[in-house]
Amino acid sequence: MIKRLVDAWVRQRFDVDKMRGPVEKQLKKPLPHNVGWFHTLGSMSLFLFLSQVVTGILLLVYYRPTVNEAFESVKFIMTKPYMGWLYRQVHAWGANLMVIVVFLHMLRTYITGSYKKPREVTWIFGVFLFIFTMIFGFTGYLLPWNQLAYWATTVGTEVAGSVPIVGEWIRTLMRGGPSVGSETLSRFFVIHVIILPWLLVLLVLIHLFLVRLQGVATMERVDEEKEVDKAHGTPFFPTHVLKEGIVFYILLGILITLAILAPFDLGEKADPLTTPHAIKPEWYFLPFYQVLKYFPKLAGIFVVTLAPIFLFLWPFLDRNKERDPRKRPFAVGFCILVLLSLFIFGVVGYLSETERQLFGKTYYFDVYGLPHAGTAAEHMAKLTDAEVK
Amino acid sequence: MSHHRNLNHQAAHFITNERGSFFVYFGILIILLFLSTHPLFANTDNENQCIACHSDYWEEMQASIHSRNGVACQDCHGGDPAQADQALAKGPETGYIGVPEKDQAVQRCGNCHANVEFMNPYGIRTDQLARYLTSTHGKRVMVDHDMKAAACMDCHGYHDVIAVSDPNSPVYPSNVPKTCNHCHGNERLMEPYHHPTDVFDQYRESVHGKALFEKGNLAVANCAACHGSHGAVPPGVKDLGATCGKCHVNEKKYFLESPHAAAMVEGKFSECTSCHGFHDVQHPTAALYEKACLNCHATGTTEYQLGQAIERELNNAEQAFEKTKGTVKQAAIEGFFVEEEAANLEEVKTHLIEIKSVQHTLNNHFLTERHDAIVKSTDEIERSIRHKRLSHKQRQWMLVPIWVFIVIMVLVLYRKYKQLKNQKD
Repeated sequence: MIKRLVDAWVRQRFDVDKMRGPVEKQLKKPLPHNVGWFHTLGSMSLFLFLSQVVTGILLLVYYRPTVNEAFESVKFIMTKPYMGWLYRQVHAWGANLMVIVVFLHMLRTYITGSYKKPREVTWIFGVFLFIFTMIFGFTGYLLPWNQLAYWATTVGTEVAGSVPIVGEWIRTLMRGGPSVGSETLSRFFVIHVIILPWLLVLLVLIHLFLVRLQGVATMERVDEEKEVDKAHGTPFFPTHVLKEGIVFYILLGILITLAILAPFDLGEKADPLTTPHAIKPEWYFLPFYQVLKYFPKLAGIFVVTLAPIFLFLWPFLDRNKERDPRKRPFAVGFCILVLLSLFIFGVVGYLSETERQLFGKTYYFDVYGLPHAGTAAEHMAKLTDAEVK
Repeated sequence: MSHHRNLNHQAAHFITNERGSFFVYFGILIILLFLSTHPLFANTDNENQCIACHSDYWEEMQASIHSRNGVACQDCHGGDPAQADQALAKGPETGYIGVPEKDQAVQRCGNCHANVEFMNPYGIRTDQLARYLTSTHGKRVMVDHDMKAAACMDCHGYHDVIAVSDPNSPVYPSNVPKTCNHCHGNERLMEPYHHPTDVFDQYRESVHGKALFEKGNLAVANCAACHGSHGAVPPGVKDLGATCGKCHVNEKKYFLESPHAAAMVEGKFSECTSCHGFHDVQHPTAALYEKACLNCHATGTTEYQLGQAIERELNNAEQAFEKTKGTVKQAAIEGFFVEEEAANLEEVKTHLIEIKSVQHTLNNHFLTERHDAIVKSTDEIERSIRHKRLSHKQRQWMLVPIWVFIVIMVLVLYRKYKQLKNQKD
């Protein structure tokens, strides 16, 4: 009865039959056979973004973006409001998982050659989405205003300040003053909760529109792609959506499990007068941070800047018409090399300036990640002796 | 090389020739002129001829507060320092007294230090002489002419007197016990007065002595805090409470509400020292009730039973506090937010400090009230931390139904997906 009444009310106002066609066309759009489980990573990135938006809104109810209140308000969220601890942890872990999932989505696109003509623009928007996801992480990291965040941001903005000519200006723009302080917090807050979310929404819409417009890439050579018809393709709904549902539930489980079993510590409140030993950025910046150490200031920044430039230009540099990874040994080899170096520099960055027990012996990994037998204090004493001599 | 040798040769020649000699003499003259402006040499002129013979005392005086404020030899010893001739300098008309006797020295010090007009610019009180005359030391020196009793310089020093605020001064708070012990620890000196000479040793081991010598707490009681400094007299039995009460204000206040206050008025009970002792006073614990009460009350008496009851409550409150303190600390190590509990624990600590003062009323009703408040608060803190631990465990257990639901959903969706795929194939 009610359903009939609503149906009639809508039909009197909208031409439902005319609208049903395009909606059904989009829903049932056939996807090529090569669409596998890894093709769900794009949707999972979107799910994580939505999760970040929802948990972010909940955090905004209690969060206070001032140097005097930020730390206390996050502590309040973690202790007082109903399920506050959960949405803070889901937000923190969601940010990390989003970087991983977006990266894996990009990796899948690279391996399957989907970035090639005619989808270069979709790839470029994808790279923008990846970079903005990382900036999301960088700006959000400061907001709890704890020691780790404060000093990681100090180092991060210092690195940006080393860029020739415009560096000083960029650093001041980011910090809102000579050092990280209340102005920085305000700026990062505005970027994190106003500018980036809307920018990401816009970019995601364009990215999705392009994907829908040009269809999901097949494994056929460039310019030899055949349109997927209903008989040979897999319908987006319900077949592919079911796959996405499965991955969604698993990802949701992982997210909640991490939030409960490996919660992020809030640590100590930011103290500009106490510099902690071995300041490090978030793990996803660690490989770049480590690379910076091996080069003189400008050369380091140049090397690190090459990474995003390569990502943007890659569809135009790669002239190979093949999409099948087995027929693209150079591109795949290059990718493996990049992945390996990211991993190695990441691990070295993680180990650097720490003391570790290896095979029953204590080693100190210096700033370059080189191991030295003995403790950190012993290593420092040796360095001081050498300087005196 | 030869060029260098030539230069050296030329330089040596320059110094040995006439022009060179002129520069050397001129340099010496400049140095002498500079030295003549130095205070040490400034007073070696005709103004103070005492130094010609007594340069050693003059040396001692240089660092003294007196020398820095223009006090010179004649102000204490008399004489005319302007006379180079010894006979004229110490002539009868010069008021020369040589080494003053103690009573003379006291008067000499008083000439300035009891002069309000003179001392006003230095902001120093001027009642020291008046107080000294009321002290046991003062009476012995000034009335009995007992020159073995302490006068100004025995505590402050002679020529090298420095400001009381200087940590090197013998009357700086941390040095006072050692300075008093200089005489009061001397058996031969104290024998005629029948004074014990182990007071310093007792004090050093007392709660006050440890706080002063080990923790450097200058506010803690030293000899002068109880006995007075310039007006030093041994406090009488009735004055002891007032002496201790200068610092232990609350204990004094509550003691006056106790049944012992009446006994104290009758002179039967020495306020604080009856239970705590005096020079060797130790950090009091509840165990004191087991020993101190027995000094006057037999076991089995109502008074003794009351003491036992108070001891139990104090121990109980202390144990509850210590246990909860451990719980809060452990919870903080485990990563729980315990600021609120820590703040409540501080409140309990305040109650505990309060109960330690209130016990001096010996009123069990007051004590029970505070004891119950402490136990209630510590119970609440323990409960709150238990609740936090429990909800942490519950969160982990919640993962079981969450994953059961996820696995079911994944299986259902996968089954449906397989069905669709099979239909298509």
